[in-house]
Amino acid sequence: MSTRRKIVLAIVGFYVGSIVLLVAIFGFTRRDNDEFKPQEEFRLETWFSLPGPLDFNKAVFYVIVAGLLTVGSMLYIANRMQAHPNRVQTAVETIYQFMRNITGGNMDDRMARKWFPFIGSLFLFIWFSNLIGYIPLPTNTHETFEVFGADIPAFAIYASTANVSVPLVLALVVFVAYNVEGIRAKGLFGYLKSLVPEGVKGPMVGFIFILEFVSNFMRLVSLSVRLFANILAGHLIILFMSGGLAVLLGLEVLGAITLPAGVILFVFEVGLVATLQAFIFATLSAIYLGGAVAEHH
Amino acid sequence: MDVLFSLITVFAQASAEEVAAYGSDAGKAIALGVGGGLGAVGAGVGIGIIFGKVIESVTRQPEMRDEITSIQWLGFALTEACFFYGLVAGLIAFFL
Repeated sequence: MSTRRKIVLAIVGFYVGSIVLLVAIFGFTRRDNDEFKPQEEFRLETWFSLPGPLDFNKAVFYVIVAGLLTVGSMLYIANRMQAHPNRVQTAVETIYQFMRNITGGNMDDRMARKWFPFIGSLFLFIWFSNLIGYIPLPTNTHETFEVFGADIPAFAIYASTANVSVPLVLALVVFVAYNVEGIRAKGLFGYLKSLVPEGVKGPMVGFIFILEFVSNFMRLVSLSVRLFANILAGHLIILFMSGGLAVLLGLEVLGAITLPAGVILFVFEVGLVATLQAFIFATLSAIYLGGAVAEHH
Repeated sequence: MDVLFSLITVFAQASAEEVAAYGSDAGKAIALGVGGGLGAVGAGVGIGIIFGKVIESVTRQPEMRDEITSIQWLGFALTEACFFYGLVAGLIAFFL
């Protein structure tokens, strides 16, 4: 038997064994837990009030951390540029080239030069927001535990993009930006006329115009809900798979059964979804901006 | 409808309020199940088509691989989002 096979068999054996052991100890009875509410994990508890209608809560904390990371990391690298790049600089240059491709591939050269800083910072901000959302931080002030007499907030994963307001604001900025850019390039009537694709004639023009006009606003919804729903569903499913279901149903063995799925989903979310959603948001913003000024729709 | 409702109360030997509460719970569970389940069906078919077509086009034109890969992830994310629209609608119905 090869070594790899032994390791795989040992892991499977440990998995099955722990399930059997937990059933033997705790039995297989379901005791519904009404006190644990999974939606509380996403509730925003006010930490302290700021003047005016503003409150400081964990979503604001995550937004500020993501913004500082975006600005700080890029400034740090930009001030230490070397002719012989080290590993960090190479990685950042790869990301920079990646963002260049997002803008350059979807707009003409003049627009790409103008809008690259916007699309680039949009990408980095969403990327950092998503990624720091997977680091467990002591932010859940709703549940606390005690260490040496001090109340420490429970460790929780939360991303500011899992709250609909942050992606909606970003989508609104993009929406205003591409509409203004389109009107500046073609004039108000020219822009409205360019919504209808060429080759449409007769009474169909009015119908297509209304359709395209409404779909402009649907972009706002799809852009924000796509990011928000992906991150929210990712966090929810990690929560459920890595123990939430076991607590909710009061069934100890379920925790052991679902834990591997939780680990796999966590890796999937960190490795693919966090980067992919930032990439999609930036790419679609670039496509909308490029499409608004393009001669042919 | 009223006849059906009274029949259910008789058979279940429960009061009208209990039946209404069970109905509300069942409706929430059905909303979550349909939102998540049917959403997954549609998005699963769509993602399958996308990756199938990517394999097909890369075998036809291997030199286009890099270009196709970036379009593939765009299509994957756009399709996958449709699943989450259904799931989020189900979750809203279930929890709110």
